[in-house]
Formats: sequence, structure tokens, C-alpha cells
Amino acid sequence: MLVSDTDQTILSTAVQFSKSCGSKLFVLFVIEPSRISRLASISHQKVKVVYDRTEENGWQLLYLVEDEAVENGVWTSLHLEEGNLLEILKRYIDTYQIDALLIKRKDESKKIFVSSPIPVIGL
Amino acid sequence: MQLKISEYLKSEAIMMEIKAKEKLAAIDELVAHMVKSKLVTDGKELIKALAKRENLESTGIGDGIAIPHARTNAVKDLLLAFARSPQGIDFSSIDGKPSYIIFLIASPENQKSEYIMALAKLSRLLRKHPVREMLRNAKDPAEIMNIIKENEE
Repeated sequence: MLVSDTDQTILSTAVQFSKSCGSKLFVLFVIEPSRISRLASISHQKVKVVYDRTEENGWQLLYLVEDEAVENGVWTSLHLEEGNLLEILKRYIDTYQIDALLIKRKDESKKIFVSSPIPVIGL
Repeated sequence: MQLKISEYLKSEAIMMEIKAKEKLAAIDELVAHMVKSKLVTDGKELIKALAKRENLESTGIGDGIAIPHARTNAVKDLLLAFARSPQGIDFSSIDGKPSYIIFLIASPENQKSEYIMALAKLSRLLRKHPVREMLRNAKDPAEIMNIIKENEE
């Protein structure tokens, strides 16, 4: 199972879901450069500042979910990647033989529901 | 809250060359060094907490780096240690490559936010290729500490 989201509530759900299914949990945080540029422009900040903050938040989220997973005896693997979300998801699905994606339902995630070759669980 | 990794890594917690060839033996060796340096009192409990985590995940984050870590009351404060393996150790890294640089992080159970922050900062720092190269080529603990101090933000 693979989770790719920044919402902490979905991460706890993912841990419990993996625990009940006895599955391994891959947690993926993707930094999309186009989104970073857009955020920097909107907030009038330097791209590097936004990038650094996003990366640090990403690692913190990954380790938070890992801490919870360990407490629940769930096997986890943490990943932080940079690039296009859909391309990275496809690579992960192939490389790690992921059998389900767990994501938060929101406007931007529609493209994942449409393009994913494996079941997507939207919360 | 701003946390500086360099403030938690002491020179006596740095091993320039570790002899172990397997991950749990490497953790044992590094913890034994920390006990000998009086940085840890309950080495057995720390090893137990680290080993539990190793069994549930890969702490090898790729690019020759492993960050074994645990929250346990075997330590009194956030603690970092560093070791280097010339031949590399299999930490079941996500890229399948051996780990040459090992950072150990331990914190008491009640210091979760500092612990998460330290892990995040260290992971960020070690994503930088030049930093990894400098750490692999450093000659002594003082140089290791300088590299971290100069490159952390």
C-alpha cells in the first residue's frame, strides 16, 4: 500500500488500514517543482525558501507516520522524491509492486483516480 | 523551534571506522562505543529499541546512508552518533546499495518533536551529494563536526 499525501489524518488511517490488512506501508512525499514555483510566486518568497520548508515538512511527516507505524507494528518504508507526481507514482507501483493507493479526496487527486492502474482508496 | 544537529553530536560519539559487517552488529558496536564514552548508560535497552525498528523498516535511506533511530528512555536527552564503514553495510536500503555512513539518533520517549525534527534535518542534510562525499572523506571527528555545522541550515 502506498500513501501520498500531506494530511496527517490520512496517515494515521493508513497505518491502521495496513495493520488490519497485514500489509507493508510505503509512504511517499513528492515535491513538485512547478507547485513550489507557484507557491513562491503567490507568497512572494524565494523558491529556495519554499523548497527547503517543503522538504523539511515532508521529512517530518514521513517520520511522524513511521513513528506511529512502529508503535503499531506496521512495516514501513519512507520516500521523499522530487518530480511529477503521476510519473513517480507509476514508477513506485511498478518498482515496489504496490497493490493499492491511499489518498485524500480533493480536486487535485482526480487525475490519480483516473490514471492509476491499481485500486485507489480515497478518504 | 530551531534545532541544530551539530549541537547534539559530540566528538566522542563519532567512530571514524566501524569494524562490523552486518547492521545489527554495527548498531551493537556503535552503542558499545557510546556506553564506553559514558553517553549512554543502558546500552542493552537502546540496542533493543533500535533493533525493534530495524525489524519493521529499512533505515537505509539510500545513497550510502543509514539512520538507525529509536525513541527510548535508555537515553536521557536527544543523542546523535556517527560511524563510517569502509566496506559498507547492508541496511536493506531502498536503493539496494550498502551504507557507508551511519548516523544513529536516539531520544527519550517524551521528546518526540525534537526527535522528529532531528531526523528530518539530518535526512535533508544527507540528501546533498557534496555533504555525503565530504563525510566519507573526512579525516577525524573534528572535521565531521565542522562539515555538519557548516552545511546545516
